[in-house]
Amino acid sequence: MNKKPLTLYRHLNKLRWVSLIIVFSMLILLPFLHMYQTFVAAHGYDLLSNADKDIYNVMATLTSPFTENPAKGLDVIKGNTWSGTFFGLQLSDPLSVVSQIAAGLTIYWPFVLTALIPVLLTLIFGRFFCGWICPATFLYELNTNLAAWAHRAGLPVGNRHFDRRLKYLILLVGLILSAITGSVLVAAIYPPAIVGRELYYGIALGGFGAGSIFFVITLLFDLLVARRGFCRYLCPGGALYSLLGHFRLVRIQRLVKTCNDCAMCNAVCEFGLDPLHDNFGQECNNCTACIAICPTDALTFEIKITDQPNQGPGHLGHLYKREQGKNSSTKQEAIK
Amino acid sequence: MKRRHFLQTLIASASALAINPAQAFTGQRLLSQRYLRPPGALAEADFVARCIHCGQCGEVCPNRCIRYFGLENGTASLDTPYIIPRDQACILCMKCGDICPTDAITPVPELMQPILDKVHMGHAVVDRSLCLSWQGQSCGVCYRACPLADVAIRVGWMEQPHVLDKCVGCGLCERACIQMPQAIRIIPDYG
Repeated sequence: MNKKPLTLYRHLNKLRWVSLIIVFSMLILLPFLHMYQTFVAAHGYDLLSNADKDIYNVMATLTSPFTENPAKGLDVIKGNTWSGTFFGLQLSDPLSVVSQIAAGLTIYWPFVLTALIPVLLTLIFGRFFCGWICPATFLYELNTNLAAWAHRAGLPVGNRHFDRRLKYLILLVGLILSAITGSVLVAAIYPPAIVGRELYYGIALGGFGAGSIFFVITLLFDLLVARRGFCRYLCPGGALYSLLGHFRLVRIQRLVKTCNDCAMCNAVCEFGLDPLHDNFGQECNNCTACIAICPTDALTFEIKITDQPNQGPGHLGHLYKREQGKNSSTKQEAIK
Repeated sequence: MKRRHFLQTLIASASALAINPAQAFTGQRLLSQRYLRPPGALAEADFVARCIHCGQCGEVCPNRCIRYFGLENGTASLDTPYIIPRDQACILCMKCGDICPTDAITPVPELMQPILDKVHMGHAVVDRSLCLSWQGQSCGVCYRACPLADVAIRVGWMEQPHVLDKCVGCGLCERACIQMPQAIRIIPDYG
């Protein structure tokens, strides 16, 4: 009896997009909520410009079911994916903790503990942050779609390959630079931190800062040099998550009996991994795009701490049948 | 930040990097810009090492006085919070310390004694040649703007301001001063 993946797994990719959109829209909403709070605190509705009055009215309508006193009540959700406060629970990116330790050369435990939940989740689900939460991923994946359209329109798009281990080097160099300068410089080259911050600068402080230029450069790099190149080859956070997720429990695995070697999984994988040859590695972010596209339901989640070794060609594919044919013919010769 | 300001910043920081990269990277202050750190912030070097640039202090500030550095103050203080009191001063609500995940801004209760003990943003200094009261026209605006009136500042004859030792440097007096340029200003205390 062949194992079959749960039907739910095929729909996780849509759920992932819902999650990305929720995170991204929260990052856009929060600066507006902050502006609304300051307007309330200033008691100056009559003095606001018309645009600010519109913001005030919209936010008042949105938040009125949840809080009586917006100036205080809306303080429960603040921050971004780099570090945020969620109903009294402070959550931080593991990279922010690691880079802060590097910058300060001391361990400040109350802050280290804020990364506990993300680290535990990463130990279980691997690099899931990159696929499911990261606000930069949202823009990078849209950018990939843009690249696909550009490619269809005949424009040149980049698809070069580099060494995936480059990002570990960048993580190391970033931490060393942080230690030398005594400042958390990694935050300046880490797209999710940049996106969260720059959205806040752009909306609430009236203009984007220096990080936005860096982010646009990474978008262009992805478009013109390497598909999803920043996440694959350069991102220091991705490197840290990959290391933490090396022995992750929840893995996507190939079911060799139902695989037909169509290689759609390899084509769709944003991180350029090789599901077809059971080569997921620590980089897989459990985005489930390969599960969603597999025509024969040959990919599923399994609970184990290492990948299977290469299982050979899928049993529904030509290659396997040819080998089987060869094997049976050699057997017949042996019998003769 | 206006676009022009941003471009200026970019060019300034690029040239600063080109002229003296070591200085730019070691976090020495490049400009003579007078800025304050949020109330309860650690001493400058510790603060820069502790702050993770998450931006929550600005997002929680009800007075919108907390802004963020670009590259104009050196690479080390990129995206760290600062306050220019003449533009918008701190009202000592102490929310930023409560939300700071790394306690780069230490949490201080919103009470007078803890604020006097733990907040060292700077110290107000009066320029008597600019001050209206000292020039014979009774004013007293700085005294009335001060959240710690009679503790941090007191007024004498003709409402001439005298800043006391306990001033924490919130900058509300500088913000309120009706003289242009301001006759009272905060000399920052970077620790």
